[in-house]
Amino acid sequence: MRLRRPELHTLAGAYALDAVPEADRARFERHLARCRACAREQRELREATARLAGAVAADPPAELVERVIAAAAQTRQLPPATGPAPAWPARLIHQVWNARRPPGPWRARRRRLALALAAVFLAAAAASGAIALTAEHNLGAAQQSDHAIAEVLNAPDAVMLTSRVKAGGAATIVMSHRDHALVFTTAGLPPLPGGRGYQLWLMGPHGDRSAGLLPAPHNGMTSPVIATGLAAGDSVALTVEPAAGSGHPTSSPILMLSLTA
Amino acid sequence: MFGVVRTVVRDPSQAEEVLQEVLLEVWRGASRFKPGRGSALAWMTTIAHRRAIDRVRAENRSAERQLRAARHAVAYDEVAETVEARLDRERVRRCLGSLTRLQCESVTLAYYGGYTFREVAALLGVPEGTVKTRMRDGLIRLRDCLGADQ
Repeated sequence: MRLRRPELHTLAGAYALDAVPEADRARFERHLARCRACAREQRELREATARLAGAVAADPPAELVERVIAAAAQTRQLPPATGPAPAWPARLIHQVWNARRPPGPWRARRRRLALALAAVFLAAAAASGAIALTAEHNLGAAQQSDHAIAEVLNAPDAVMLTSRVKAGGAATIVMSHRDHALVFTTAGLPPLPGGRGYQLWLMGPHGDRSAGLLPAPHNGMTSPVIATGLAAGDSVALTVEPAAGSGHPTSSPILMLSLTA
Repeated sequence: MFGVVRTVVRDPSQAEEVLQEVLLEVWRGASRFKPGRGSALAWMTTIAHRRAIDRVRAENRSAERQLRAARHAVAYDEVAETVEARLDRERVRRCLGSLTRLQCESVTLAYYGGYTFREVAALLGVPEGTVKTRMRDGLIRLRDCLGADQ
C-alpha cells in the first residue's frame, strides 16, 4: 500500500520512532528534504526519542568497548577528517574506562562510559571543527600523564570549556577545581614555522607558570596536556614561543581564558 | 546507546554486534555531525535505534515473522514490563504517564518494541491513521513534558 502525498505529513511521529515501513521511509525522507518545517519538527521529535533511549540506558560489556576502541583506532574517519585516526583518543578511552575507581554504583560506571564515548565522539568532531564546543561535555586524552588526565576527566566537578583561538582553531579544556588541574587540547591551530612552538601557561595572582609546550599536532589535533597547580584567579593562556620553550611568555597570548568558577 | 539497542534487539549477542556497528558508524561519521541539526545525543541515539530496528526487521523477513505474529498478543505487556523495569529516569517515566494510554502504547510499542505503525495498529486493533496521529501527538506531548521539566 502506497501513501498519497498529503498523508506523508502525518508520518512525522512514526518516522521519528523508526516505525515507518521501509517502502514509505524513502518517500518520507524525500518529503523531509523539501519541507523545512517538517525537518525542524523532526529534530524536535528526535530529541524526545533520544530521551526514551536515555531511559533504558545500560552499560555495554567491557570487552565490547575494548573491541570497539581497537577497531576505531584502525578505522578511517570520513572526510573532512582525513588521514588515519590518531591513537590518543583510543588510549584515552582506554584509560578512562579502566580508571581505577572504587566499584561504585551504576551511576558512576555509566558516567565513566559516557565520558569514554564522549571522548571518542568529541575527539573526532573536534578534529574537523564540526562541533561547536559549547555544551557541557567532557573530553580528554593521554600520554605518560594518562592517569592524571583520567583523574581530571573523572572528577565529579569536571567541566568543559572551549574557546576559539585568535590565530585560528579552537581549544578544549576540561577542568577540575577539586584536582587543581586542567586538561588542554586543541584542534586546527595554524602550523608554525620551524623553531617555534605553542606554549601553555597558567597566569594569575601567583604569576605566570608554564604548563609546557603543546606536542606536534596529529591530524590537526594536539594530544592533551595537563596543567596542574591551578589556583583561584588563574587564567589559561597560549603563546607562540621558541621551540625550546620560554621561562616567561615572550609574545602576547593568542588565547586567554579566565578560569574563575 | 547499548540500552536502546538491547531493548529493541533483545538477543544479547546480536545487540552487541549491532552496538559495535553503531559505535563505529558514530566514530566514522562524527566529522559530519552538524550541531545545528540537533544534539549529539539525539544524533547518536537515532543511529543506534535505526540500526537496531534494521536488524530486527531484517530478521523478521525470515520465518521468524510467523512466530512473532503469534507473540503479538502479549507484546505490549511484555514491552511495557521491560521498559518499566529499566526506566531509571523518573522524569521520562512520569512524562510517559502523562500521555493517553493509546499514545503511550503507540510510542512505546514502536520505539522499544520495534514495531511499524501498521503492526502497532494491528496489535492494538485501531486504524492506522489513528496510530500515526497518536505517535506524533504522543511524542510532542512527551517533548513538551520533558522540556518543561528541565
